[in-house]
Amino acid sequence: MNFLAVLFLLAGFFFILVGTVGVLRMPDFFTRMHAVGKCDTLGILLCLVGLMIYEGASLTSLKLLYIWVFLLMASPTATHVFCRAAVRSGLKPWTRTEGQG
Amino acid sequence: MATKTTANPFRNRSRAEIVHFVFLTLALFVFWVVLSGKMQVRYLIIGFVTALAITVATRPLLILPPERTGSSWLSLWDLPWFRIFLYVPWLLWQIIVANVQVAMLILHPKLPIDPKVVKFKKYIPHPVGRFALANSITLTPGTITVDLEADEYTVHCVQGGFVGGVAPAEGEGTLPARVGAVFGAGPAPADRQTSDKGL
Repeated sequence: MNFLAVLFLLAGFFFILVGTVGVLRMPDFFTRMHAVGKCDTLGILLCLVGLMIYEGASLTSLKLLYIWVFLLMASPTATHVFCRAAVRSGLKPWTRTEGQG
Repeated sequence: MATKTTANPFRNRSRAEIVHFVFLTLALFVFWVVLSGKMQVRYLIIGFVTALAITVATRPLLILPPERTGSSWLSLWDLPWFRIFLYVPWLLWQIIVANVQVAMLILHPKLPIDPKVVKFKKYIPHPVGRFALANSITLTPGTITVDLEADEYTVHCVQGGFVGGVAPAEGEGTLPARVGAVFGAGPAPADRQTSDKGL
């Protein structure tokens, strides 16, 4: 059981790491939001699943589940709000043009 | 608007009020019990009173008048729970697939991204349905909902190949179709206000 928990935690760490790498590598705000909004969400969700498995069926697990559900709704909403604010303030998305990348 | 009766069972206000009251109070109470972890009658009573007070206080925010929903009085808790229950595992799977794909993009030495902005329209009567669709798009492969106004979704795609699941060149994407099926979408009513900003 602990092995499974560690597996989930490591997978979570991996995705958070990828998200961070994405933020550093992506060319503009919107593409960075892709990296943060997705990889970090899954990373944290996987970490929480790992902790829930480690904890077993208890009240603490249930509380972690609450955080899990909340994150699942809050994280994309936050990503969306950031992007909308960026668009409304006039930021143009980066597009691939000749000679770049 | 008020003369069309049969299609929507959640038309009248008192039903929305009752559903809202029962669901929200129960949900808040369960939330309290789990967070406190104490089972003595005293704490349960405090929790119940608190839940009740919150339900009453937030009533004007969570029950929507017909002007907002485009159809009828609606409690935000009046949801097709069972279909949502079936939808969530599918969504979780999509999230995992999305992440693996985005992770491969990010770690690819050439960073083969080609961002694009697409727009599509989808009418979903329930505001929570619109919320679910917008959030699902953000969570799934390479797409982020940038804007949602009057049923029109503006989506930023990190690579052209990801457009297909949301707004393919012809027909409807799998994601809008799925969420639409969950929340009972139909063709938009002709008298729908286009200036409605969703939620």
